[in-house]
Amino acid sequence: MTSNARTTGETATIEFAALAEQRFYLMRIARMELRDEHAAEDCVSDVLTQAYERRAAFRGDSSLRTWLTAILKNRIIDLLRKQWREQPIEEAPSGEQDFDNLFDETGHYAEMPSHVRDPAELCQEEGFLSAVQRCIDKLPKRIGQVFVLREVFGSDTKELCKDLGLTTSNVWVQLYRARMMLRTCLEKNGFGNAQPG
Amino acid sequence: MRSLARHKMLRLTCQQASRLLSQQQDEPLPFGKRMRLRLHLMYCDACTNVSRQFDTLRLGLLRWRDKD
Repeated sequence: MTSNARTTGETATIEFAALAEQRFYLMRIARMELRDEHAAEDCVSDVLTQAYERRAAFRGDSSLRTWLTAILKNRIIDLLRKQWREQPIEEAPSGEQDFDNLFDETGHYAEMPSHVRDPAELCQEEGFLSAVQRCIDKLPKRIGQVFVLREVFGSDTKELCKDLGLTTSNVWVQLYRARMMLRTCLEKNGFGNAQPG
Repeated sequence: MRSLARHKMLRLTCQQASRLLSQQQDEPLPFGKRMRLRLHLMYCDACTNVSRQFDTLRLGLLRWRDKD
């Protein structure tokens, strides 16, 4: 992870060019989270402007990308709270009956889930990463948003509850649904292509 | 161990085990649940595969995020 940030003592000075270098990355993750090109562009522009104005607060001890990601995360949470307040959905049910069709009457998998022979190797394949992205884009919007905050932005359960006003069990249900939908989606064009072990 | 695994009170269905596998990606499970899950994974290939799929999802997302 390179940047033009130069550490001078405790603080670092950042050139605008170094911030602009991160735009592509920030757009990629903002787009996955927000699913709206214009909203992502507005958000990332705000983040870069804010970061430049507050550049004296950047400390060289985290990477520039980490620092910008944290600013973007806060911006996104504000946006989501606003959107979710304006368009509330009913509290998701417990999820006890979720994915019943995947299981037989004794509660065991009706079909054997694919064995991933070498996760590290698979995750180096561009094709697999694209399949993951495509499957995430297909998730129901809010489930996808909670999941991407968790896995891409690194929010933990406590933060998700606090930031999004969800209960712990609701967060667990959303993340469970996301993972089960993703694994089903990837059985078709991701895991499924992996060599059987 | 197998007789213990067959004990009805301790035995998880795959559906229950999958929920715990997901939960475990987000925080440490309480002792009892952790043990029941571990027991389940000892004899269940399906859930062992699912566990690996969940790990792969997490790793894949990190690789996707950091790829450039």
